Amino acid sequence: MTDGDTGAPDRPLDRLDPGERGVIARLNGDPQITRRLMELGLVPGTPVELVRRAPLGDPIELAVRGVHLSLRRSEASHIHVAAG
Amino acid sequence: MSRPAEHDGTPALALAGGPAAHPPGGAIRRIAILGNPNAGKSTLFNALTGLRQKVGNYPGVTVEKKTGTCELPSGARVEVLDLPGSYSLQPVSPDEMIVRDVLLGLQRDTPPPDLIVFVVDATHLERHLYLALQVIELGRPFVLALNMIDAARAGGIRIDERALERRLGVPVVAISATRGEGIGRLRRIMERDVEPSTVHFRRWPPHLERVIARLEARLPRHALVPERARHDLALALLLDDGEDDALARHASPEVLDDARILSRGLDRRTPGWRSDDVEGRYETIGTLLHSAVETPSEHRDRVSERIDRVLTHRIWGPVLFVLLMGAVFQSVFAWAQPAMDLIDAGVGRVGNGLEALLPAGALRSLLVDGVIAGVGTTLTFVPQIAILFFFLSVLEDSGYMARAAFIMDRLMGRVGLSGRAFIPLLSSFACAIPGIMATRTIDSRRDRLTTIMVAPFMSCSARLPVYALLIGAFIPNRWVGFVTLPGIVLFSMYGVGLLAAIVVAWVLKRSVLKGGKPLYVMELPPYRMPSWRSVLITVRERCLLFVGKAGTVILAISVVLWFLASYPRGGAEVHALETRAAAERVAGHPALARDLDRQVAGAALEHSFAGQVGRVLEPAIAPLGFDWRIGIGLVTSFAAREVMVSTMATVFNLGNGDTDVLPLRQHLRDALDPRTGRHAYNALTGISLMVFFVLACQCMSTVAVVRRETDSWRWPLFMLVMMNAIAWLASFAVFQGGRLMGYGP
Repeated sequence: MTDGDTGAPDRPLDRLDPGERGVIARLNGDPQITRRLMELGLVPGTPVELVRRAPLGDPIELAVRGVHLSLRRSEASHIHVAAG
Repeated sequence: MSRPAEHDGTPALALAGGPAAHPPGGAIRRIAILGNPNAGKSTLFNALTGLRQKVGNYPGVTVEKKTGTCELPSGARVEVLDLPGSYSLQPVSPDEMIVRDVLLGLQRDTPPPDLIVFVVDATHLERHLYLALQVIELGRPFVLALNMIDAARAGGIRIDERALERRLGVPVVAISATRGEGIGRLRRIMERDVEPSTVHFRRWPPHLERVIARLEARLPRHALVPERARHDLALALLLDDGEDDALARHASPEVLDDARILSRGLDRRTPGWRSDDVEGRYETIGTLLHSAVETPSEHRDRVSERIDRVLTHRIWGPVLFVLLMGAVFQSVFAWAQPAMDLIDAGVGRVGNGLEALLPAGALRSLLVDGVIAGVGTTLTFVPQIAILFFFLSVLEDSGYMARAAFIMDRLMGRVGLSGRAFIPLLSSFACAIPGIMATRTIDSRRDRLTTIMVAPFMSCSARLPVYALLIGAFIPNRWVGFVTLPGIVLFSMYGVGLLAAIVVAWVLKRSVLKGGKPLYVMELPPYRMPSWRSVLITVRERCLLFVGKAGTVILAISVVLWFLASYPRGGAEVHALETRAAAERVAGHPALARDLDRQVAGAALEHSFAGQVGRVLEPAIAPLGFDWRIGIGLVTSFAAREVMVSTMATVFNLGNGDTDVLPLRQHLRDALDPRTGRHAYNALTGISLMVFFVLACQCMSTVAVVRRETDSWRWPLFMLVMMNAIAWLASFAVFQGGRLMGYGP
């Protein structure tokens, strides 16, 4: 993937703090789900922001390519981001 | 004997429709509207077709098919198809599968469109162009409609339409569907013969391209599939892991085998190939936007962000949500009442009018007690449906519905439902009919079916008269601390229903409705002012659909129930009573005659099929504490739960026109068991019967609406059996348990 060779430490997207930004490094997990998340714009190399968590802590709201998406934490944990 | 070879003309893919890809001169052109959810597709569809719309279902699935006609500037008419909102041609939901099948020519009842009007939100071009590119690649005539152009301009986004046209090879029109801007130009383009784009923007890795080309070569040629779409068919076959029924149905086993072998090879050599084309497309979009669109460096929707800071706030979010839901629930529950009373009175007047016009007899009885009663039942639901769908479409179109789901998702997720199930379930406390109709906002088919199956457990307003009767008759009005005993019992009944819904949803999601890859990704669209025209069109469409589709089933069942309660007529006892009543009337004793009339009605009902069913049922319901008289009520209340009250009144020889339930309560308390000579019912019977009413599926309208919403008899029948079994078991446990503790009658 785009960041694979830099060795930059990446962490699961759901661990970001509200308001924190990063760049998508890689996605793992089920290929079909990965494909759909990428189709929604979560492609490696894309800047992403964790906007907020829902009042009960789950799901989370992301801003990516100008679009706001809501994702459950279990799914967001398969998306890894590097510091942007 | 001989294996079908590919060159002998046997198509490896069976395709829909006739041989011609374009209608012969003079035939009506078919235009499909397509786009991402929240692109404003439906608003454009409404702007083009107005009230000339038709709603049906694609065969065999619960996906709604909306078509309409649109008149073009020349006066020619075209058929417009509103395809479900999709994110990709690689489907993850039944809706998206329909879109893919229609565009690839795999959908039998819907031939591919002659022109695709693709709607994108001009303020979110980057994401919306993804599906647009996929569809342009299919090589069908295509127009790009840049919707919400007013919002884009206001946000400082400058789009060079001509540059987009050149780069994409398709006509581009800037429109605002809500304001009607640019619709005239779009209509003029819809009239032209649009050539498919010849631009190639696929940028896939060569290894993938080679494999696709190999599979493509094995696919047969077909008039309905443009040359370029064969490429996508090949990719779809490669990506499919055997779950895609439509592909499996249409492709020959040999081609499916080839696809499986090829995709396994790719898995080994180049893991990650399954999303290579996605990255390629976003790269293309990046260069495209770079040359044709100027976006302010920090483009954000400040208004939406500010609203969200309050509406999804950790504390204010849930508080405002509860207040808003309270208002919606209150209006469905209470505001509909005057309109329902009005309809009731109107239907009653029509019935009385007919009674005066027609001679007494079977025909009059059929019309008044069967047909008009059935029509009346159907119509009384309309105010609730109209009010609920008014709020639902305002909430949906304004963008709040997605936030409500965002707030509720965690809570609903605990029982395996999505956040979007909350509003349908809440509305079901007023009435399950609009609640079940409201489940359409749930994307996942399994979640939607689970929600439909548990919605009728919510205690609806039709159960209240039954609770009121039984509580009034059997529960002493005593204070327990700071609440009354009747209050506690009534509250418990709501609790029992809620508990049943949670348990059943939990079980269904782990058994019958298990499976599928759950992906709860949802867009939180920017807040927008709803288009009132669209809101009203939705309300009208939902009401008409209910009356037309569910109404017919309700009418049929109410005629059957009328027949059961009216035939066979007479019997010696009824005849003797009738003669006596006539004699008393002649002798000038109207009060006595009226009393005898009531006895006639009671005896006739006892004698009827319904009465016989009640007696046949008795052994089955005796363990619940019910006798044949209650059995009759269980049969007739299938028309509507509150009918239980009037049936009991008839059974106990009280005219069912009496609105006063006090004498009925007394009769229930005094009723004797002829075999034991003791009281037939007591508090335990009352509670057992109430529990039965909470849990049993005793509502033909619910069955009818589930039949309409799932487009099959399987789910309504499953619901009927499941709910009644649960009701029986629960009442059995209550009554027998109570008896063991010495509370039996």
